[in-house]
Amino acid sequence: MTHAWDAIAAEWLKLRTLRSNALLLACTLLAVLACAAVAYLIGRGFDTQTFEERLRFTGNGTGLGPGLPIAHFVLGTFGALTITSEYATGMIHTSLMAVPQRQLLLAAKIPGLAAVTLPAGQLLAFAMHLTAQSVLGERAGQILLDGQSLGIPLTDPGALTTLVAAGLSMTAAALAGLGVGATLRSTPGSLVALALLFVVLPVAVQALPAPLRAQVSAYTLAALPEEIAGTGGLLPPPAAAALLAAYPLLALTAGATAIALKRHKAAVLAAGAALTLATGLIALPATEAAPARHLAWHPCTTPGLPREMRCADLRVPLDWNHPTGRTITIPLAMLPASGTQRRIGTVISIPGGPGASGIDDLTQYQGRLDPLRRRFDVISFAPRNAVTPGGPLPHECLTTGPYLPLPRNRAEYAALARTNRAHAERCRAADPELFDHMDSASVARDIDALRAALGEPRVNLLANSYGGHPAAAYARLFPSRIRALVMDGTTSHTEDTATGEPRLYQRAERQLDRFAAWCRTDPSCALHGRDVKQVWRHLVERADRTPIPVRGDPDGTAYTGFDVKVAAAPSFTSPGREPDRPRWVQLADAIAKAADGDASGFAAYVRQATDRPKVPSPVGQNMTRCLDGGGYTGYAAYRAALAKARELSPHFAGQRAWWALACAGWPAPVTNPPAPLPGHALPPVLGVGTWTDHDEVATTIRHVPGSSTIRYDGHGHMAYLNSSSGCVTAHVNRYLTTLRLPPPGTVCPATG
Amino acid sequence: MIDVQDLTIRYGRTRAVDHLTFTVKPGLVTGFLGPNGAGKSTTMRAILGLHTPAAGQALIDGRPYTALRRPLHTMGALLDAAAVHGGRTARAHLTWLARSNHIPLRRVEEVLDEAGLHQTADRRIATYSLGMRQRLGIAAALLGDPQALMFDEPLNGLDVEGIRWIRDLLRRLADQGRTVLLSSHLMNELALTADHVIVIAGGRLIADTPVDALAARFHRDVLVRAAHPDRLAEVLRAHGATVTPGPGELSVHGLAPQTIGELALTAQIALRELTPRTATLEEAFLELTDDHPQEARR
Repeated sequence: MTHAWDAIAAEWLKLRTLRSNALLLACTLLAVLACAAVAYLIGRGFDTQTFEERLRFTGNGTGLGPGLPIAHFVLGTFGALTITSEYATGMIHTSLMAVPQRQLLLAAKIPGLAAVTLPAGQLLAFAMHLTAQSVLGERAGQILLDGQSLGIPLTDPGALTTLVAAGLSMTAAALAGLGVGATLRSTPGSLVALALLFVVLPVAVQALPAPLRAQVSAYTLAALPEEIAGTGGLLPPPAAAALLAAYPLLALTAGATAIALKRHKAAVLAAGAALTLATGLIALPATEAAPARHLAWHPCTTPGLPREMRCADLRVPLDWNHPTGRTITIPLAMLPASGTQRRIGTVISIPGGPGASGIDDLTQYQGRLDPLRRRFDVISFAPRNAVTPGGPLPHECLTTGPYLPLPRNRAEYAALARTNRAHAERCRAADPELFDHMDSASVARDIDALRAALGEPRVNLLANSYGGHPAAAYARLFPSRIRALVMDGTTSHTEDTATGEPRLYQRAERQLDRFAAWCRTDPSCALHGRDVKQVWRHLVERADRTPIPVRGDPDGTAYTGFDVKVAAAPSFTSPGREPDRPRWVQLADAIAKAADGDASGFAAYVRQATDRPKVPSPVGQNMTRCLDGGGYTGYAAYRAALAKARELSPHFAGQRAWWALACAGWPAPVTNPPAPLPGHALPPVLGVGTWTDHDEVATTIRHVPGSSTIRYDGHGHMAYLNSSSGCVTAHVNRYLTTLRLPPPGTVCPATG
Repeated sequence: MIDVQDLTIRYGRTRAVDHLTFTVKPGLVTGFLGPNGAGKSTTMRAILGLHTPAAGQALIDGRPYTALRRPLHTMGALLDAAAVHGGRTARAHLTWLARSNHIPLRRVEEVLDEAGLHQTADRRIATYSLGMRQRLGIAAALLGDPQALMFDEPLNGLDVEGIRWIRDLLRRLADQGRTVLLSSHLMNELALTADHVIVIAGGRLIADTPVDALAARFHRDVLVRAAHPDRLAEVLRAHGATVTPGPGELSVHGLAPQTIGELALTAQIALRELTPRTATLEEAFLELTDDHPQEARR
C-alpha cells in the first residue's frame, strides 16, 4: 500500500501549498464572532431584566449554537474545494494522471482534511465556547427554568463531550463537503448544497411547529454534539454518534460513486451503502430500548382535565402482604414529555393531604410543569387514600369527623378515644379491609407498582407536603430505585409525633411574630396599632376560662382557647396572596371580633371550608395519619408533650395535639411507623421549603449524605408546584435533569 | 510504446473516436495530426484512462494506464497547460506530483532547470504566461523520467525560442529511445519536428506514415520556364512526361528535374527556371483531411 501513502502525502502537499486554504480556515473565525455576538445580545437583554424574567431566558448552552452552522459551512466548503477546485481548473486530470485509481485519489484527500480539521475543529469549538462564556461573564451561572444555566461551563457534565463532539462535527462537515464536492464537481453547486444542508436547513426547521421542529432538527449536524453528550436534542448518544459518521459516509459514498468509472459505479455505491448501513447497525443495539409500557394510556375522559393529559388505571393488591388477594384500582394521569428534547424518564408527583389527588395537582399546576416536561413524563395518581367522591368508602363520612377537645384528664382522654373510634367505625364499616390499608407504606408500594408498570428501572419522585410520608416509605423500601427525590414542603416521617412537636411550635411562634409585624405596618389588619401578641394571649386565656360563643349559631357553639388555636393555625401559616394577604386580614378580623366576645369570625371561615362551625378532625386524613403513627403512644405521652409545649410555646401550646389526639382510640393499628431515612442507600435528596416548612424538610433529609435544601424566602407551601418562583423551578428542574444540587444555604427570593 | 487498438469513444450517441488503431514507436517523434475536433485530445485522454472507451483499448507497454502503479515513471503527459491550480507555485505543483509517484525531489529541480523555470519556480502559477505554463506542463511530464511522453498541442503559446526548445527536447527524447507523441492541428508545426505522423479526422485514422513518405506521396510537378516552351514540351513528352503548358511556363509531371535539365541541354533550349514543386505538408494534410468531411463523425 505504499503508493496509497504517496497519494496521501501528495494530497497533504496540495492542501498545504494553497494560501487560499489558510484564508478559508481563517473564515471560521466568523463562527467565533457569531457566538460572541449572540452571547453579547443575550447578556445585554439579561441586564435589563428582573430576577424572575432572567429565569425565563432561553439558555445559550455551551455557546456554540450560533457559530456551529457557520463553522460547518466554512469547513464543508474547505472540504468541497479540495476537489471542486481541481474540477474547475481541470487539474483533476493532472491528479488522475498521477493517481489513476479514482477511489484512492478521493480517499487520499481524507487524511489531510482530517489532519487539518481535527485540531482546527477542537480549537474552534473551544474558542467558540470560551468566547461565548467570557462574553456572558458571571451571567453564565444564572440558572434557568429548565434547570440549565444561561451559559454552560466546561465543568458541567457533558459540556466537555459536547465540545469535543462539536470539534469532530467540523471534521465530519469537511469530509461531507469533500463528498458533496466530488458528487457535484462544481464549486458554486457545492456551496449552495452545503449552505442548504448546514445553514438553511437548521434555520428553516425553526419555522416548523414544536414537536416536529425538535424531531427534524435532531438530525441536523449542529444538533449532534449535544446529543452525543446526552445533554440535549432528541437522539440518544449512540444514534447521534452514528449519524455524525453517516454524514461524511453518505456524502463520500455519493462522491466516490460519481468519480468512479462507469463500470465501477455500482460496486462503489454498494460498498458505501454497506459501510453506512453497518455504522447504523452498530448504533442500533447500543440505542436504549424504549421502556416497556404495560399501561393502556388513553386520552382522559373526565371533564375538566387538560387536553394533553393521558389517563390509565393501575391495579394493585389491596394488601401488599397478600399480593395475590383482592386488588384495587389506582387512577393514573400523565402529562407526557413534550418531545422537544430527549426524554430522561418519569417524574412521579406524590400528592399530599393525606387524601389529595395528584391528578388534581397536575391539572392545577400544569403550566408550572412545562419546563420539566421537556425532559420528563410527569405522572401522578389518585392514591388509594384519596378522598374523592364515588370511592368504596362514603365520601361524606371521610370529609368530616369529631370535634376534638383538649383532654384535661385520663377520663376525658378515654372519652375522646371512644368518640374517635365511633366516627372511624362509621366510615370503616363500608369496607373495613380497605380502611385498614390506607397507610403511606402501602401507597409507596403502589408507587413502585407504577414504576414497574412504566418499565422504568428508577424513578424520580416529587413529594409534596404529606406526600413526604409515602416518599419516605418508598425511600426505606426501595432506596436503590430512586434516581432523584425532591421533598417539597414535606411532612417529616423520621421521628415520632412528640419528638417533632417542639419544632412545629417554634414555627408557629415565628409565624405569629411575622403576623404581628405585618399588623404593625398594614392598616388593613384589624389589630393595627394594638399589641397583637397580647391581644391573642388574652383571647386564648379568656376562651379557656369561658368559651366564646359564636353569635347567631343555632346550636350554641362556643370556642375554647384550644378551638381558637386550631381554627387560627392554618390562617397563620398561609396569609394568602401578596400583597393583600386576605387570610391574614380575615384572621385579624376574627381575632378582633373574638376579643370582643364573638367567635363568629372564626366560625364563618371554618364553615366555608368544612360546613361546620368548628374544625372537625377529618376521618379521611386520619385513616392514613393514624396508621402512619401520627398519634401519641398513650395518655402519658400526650401529657408529656403538652407540658413541653407549654414551656416552648406561650401562644399555641396544645395546638399540635389536635393532630395527634385524632388517633386516640383508632380502630386499626399503626402499620407504618416513623423511622429515619436509609441515608447511605439513597442518592442525595433535594429539599424545598418555605418559611413555614423549610425546617421540617431539612430535618427529614439531614441524614441523607450530599443532600441540600432550597429555602424559599416567603410564605406558602409546596413552592415548586404552588409558587411562581422561577428560582425554585430552576433549581428543582436542574436537580431532576442533571442531579446537580444547589449549594447548601441556597435561598430563593419570594415572588408574592 | 503506445498501442491504440480499435479504440472507440462515444459522447452520448456521437462517436468521437471510431475504431482507431495505431502504434507509437520508440525512438521517433510521432506527430498526431488532425483538424480541430478530429478526436486527438479524446484519444490522448483515453490513453491516460481519463475516458472509458466504448470499445477497444489503449496500452502503454502492454498495460492500460490505470493499471500502472506509479504511472508517471512510465508515461509523462501534458494535456492542458491550464490544468493546474493558479494558487500554487510551480515548485509546489511539481513537488506534489513528484510525491504522488514517489519521484525523488531532485527531479523537481532538474525538470525546472530543463524547462527554464528555475528563476520563477516560486511564483504562483496564476502569474505565469501561457508559454510558461506550457513549459511547466512539459516539466511535469518529464518529472518521472518516463519512457513514453505525450503532448497535446505543446507549441501553443510558445515564442520562437520556446518552440525551438521543444523541438530540440523532443528530438533529444526520441534520440534517447523514448516514445514521443505530440499532437497538433497544424502540419507546419510538425513538419520540422516529427519523424512520423498519424493523421486522423472524424475520429478515424487517415494516415499513419513517415513524414518523408507523406511528402513524397504529394510530390506534384516541376515548374519549367524556357526560351522555347513549345519545343521543350515536345521533347519532354517524347520522354514520357505529362506537360501542361501555362502562360510562359510548363508544369511537368513524370520527370525528375535533373532529367528535364539534361534533356533541355541536349535540345539546346535555355532554361530560365527549373523548380520542383513539392506539396507542403500542410497542403498534403489539407488534401488528406478534405476527403473526410465532418459528417464522417456522425
